[in-house]
Amino acid sequence: MQNKTYKINRRQKKLSGWHKYAVIALPYLWMSLFFFVPFLIILKISFAESIDDSVPPYTSLISFDSEDLKLNFSAYLGNYAAIFDDSTYLYSYLKSIKIAFISTLLCLLIGYPMAWAIATSKSSLRNALLMLVIMPSWTSFLIRIYAWMGILKPEGYLNSFLQWLNIIDEPLQLLHTDLAVYIGIVYAYLPFMILPLYTAIVRVDYTIIEAGYDLGCRPAKCFFKLFVPQTYSGIIAGSMLVFIPAVGEYIIPELLGGPGANLIGRTIWDEYFMTRDWPLAAALATIMLLILVVPIVLFYKTQRKEITQGAK
Amino acid sequence: MAELLKDNEKVTGSEKTAVNKNREPVKKVRRPLLEIKNITKKYGENVAVDNVDLTIYEGEIFALLGSSGCGKSTLLRMIAGFENPTSGSIILDGEDIIGVPPYKRHLNMMFQSYALFPHMTVAQNIAFGLKQEKLPKKVIEERVNQMLKLVHMEEYVNRKPHQLSGGQRQRVALARSLAKQPKLLLLDEPMGALDKKLREQMRLELVNIIESVGVTCIMVTHDQEEAMTMAERIAIMNRGEFIQVGSPRQIYENPNCCFAAEFIGSVNMFESTLVTSGPEVGSVIRCKDLEHDIHLDIDVDLDDGMEVTVAIRPEKIYLEKTSPVDENGQPLKDNYTTGVVTEIAYMGDISIYHVKLNSGKVVISTLPNVDRFNKGLPTWDDKVFLSWDPESCVTLTF
Repeated sequence: MQNKTYKINRRQKKLSGWHKYAVIALPYLWMSLFFFVPFLIILKISFAESIDDSVPPYTSLISFDSEDLKLNFSAYLGNYAAIFDDSTYLYSYLKSIKIAFISTLLCLLIGYPMAWAIATSKSSLRNALLMLVIMPSWTSFLIRIYAWMGILKPEGYLNSFLQWLNIIDEPLQLLHTDLAVYIGIVYAYLPFMILPLYTAIVRVDYTIIEAGYDLGCRPAKCFFKLFVPQTYSGIIAGSMLVFIPAVGEYIIPELLGGPGANLIGRTIWDEYFMTRDWPLAAALATIMLLILVVPIVLFYKTQRKEITQGAK
Repeated sequence: MAELLKDNEKVTGSEKTAVNKNREPVKKVRRPLLEIKNITKKYGENVAVDNVDLTIYEGEIFALLGSSGCGKSTLLRMIAGFENPTSGSIILDGEDIIGVPPYKRHLNMMFQSYALFPHMTVAQNIAFGLKQEKLPKKVIEERVNQMLKLVHMEEYVNRKPHQLSGGQRQRVALARSLAKQPKLLLLDEPMGALDKKLREQMRLELVNIIESVGVTCIMVTHDQEEAMTMAERIAIMNRGEFIQVGSPRQIYENPNCCFAAEFIGSVNMFESTLVTSGPEVGSVIRCKDLEHDIHLDIDVDLDDGMEVTVAIRPEKIYLEKTSPVDENGQPLKDNYTTGVVTEIAYMGDISIYHVKLNSGKVVISTLPNVDRFNKGLPTWDDKVFLSWDPESCVTLTF
């Protein structure tokens, strides 16, 4: 009897080991096929030179010289140099980061109270409220942004409403301004802020807040000193989920932003499809990726440091 | 009049030191620190705390003892200010603190799960309360070091709570709650998060620390052993009411009702009838389970024919194989009965005997194993005589 159970256990263990690797391998395969390999291709293109009227419109890095029987390898850094030379690209990056940063901050300021309200609502109501947060994403992203165009345009709903209230005489220029871009980004990415915040706030240990009161800490101070630190993981996760896609956002500034809003997403698009300078566009994309990766890596490092700190 | 009072204090003062050697409750006339008057807390229709009165004296360790849901935690949270009573008043050091928010009360609490701030180091945790008072940096630093020393945690200043063991966390929590030098310290299940071995060790250490600081302390616990070893006075709570308030010894030796008797330790209860009582005859109580009457030397001062319950602790029932005799060698006329040993549980230090009486009732008796094996005491299926001293019996009316 004992022998039998032993055998079964061993088989289960073996199976679970095999399954484990299969389960891990699948996302790895997916990520490397659809993320890492394309990234390598982009990286490769960014070191090539642009050639007009050819397919593909760039030189290859490795060429074979049949006469000398030599393999030539040439990496061209001119694209990167061009980016740093031209202030319009730099401006484009900075503007994108600024818009993403402010949008993230706005999402946090709007999302935190909302997440808190959901987390402290009755459990019967909680799922319904979460549903309401997620539900807009069931409609196509593009359609929702078009809907905002309908709201914000001079003869749109918002202007009509404000005129009807006699607050304004002339329609306001809302569409094709930075304000419209902020509205669009905050609207589109708010759920990505609320959901991680909600999971963090639900887990807050209120006896820690009580301990703060007990030690003479006033409620407002307790909120910032004891409540918010317990939700750091949610704040960081939510901010990343908003900031990262917001930096490279293309559709929202394209549809809602003004002609002057040359954000990096738009700039890359233009380089690819208008001027057909693929290597420059690839270099722009690579730098954008670096800009996004650096804060993530720094964040993970500080977090790990925090955990190991003091364990001397 | 004032002189008289002073004299009185002197006498009781000296009595304190004399009695204290025996670890008896201190009988000094102490200053009341906390007065709870007619406190009631209702949650809708449920009454969590029902019209409770309590006075806590300066410097004592007081335990609220009861099973879960008896209202002890609610009472503690009302003192701390986390709950508002439905009615009644709480007076701390002469000041009514009802309506005063917790952050303005001069008392501190050690929470059940310690509620240490996870993102702060040990030193930051202890300093937190002091920082709220806006004390100078140097004073805070000094006090933190003093507290670390008190709880022997100097080496762990820079650790975070998750890097500490359960016992270490408890020390930090204690240091944090003592750092502000509160008038009153509240302990919510102080040993709740520790394992059994550590619990026993920490009990006396905690008491030593509290006594060395001299802070008045109210603790909440469901563990009677913990209450008995740590507290000077205990209040047994049930359904929001106090059943009995007294020293551990008073409660154990002289429970005032069946609930108190059964709540602390184990006890044999005999439902009986009072036959007669008077100053000369003492009290004669008849129980249908016992072959002979219970005869007390004292007058219980109750009506004859009244239903009473007699409680006798297991260690106060003697087991013998021969018929019991008094100190003069004369056979006992009452205060004994016979039975058969049905079970013996070996507990290491003692053995617990289950003796079945003729009526079918099982009586529990404990004997030190030193006696059991040396003196050849009764074993399984032996017919035994059970006897007890009259003063071992406690007569209860409800």
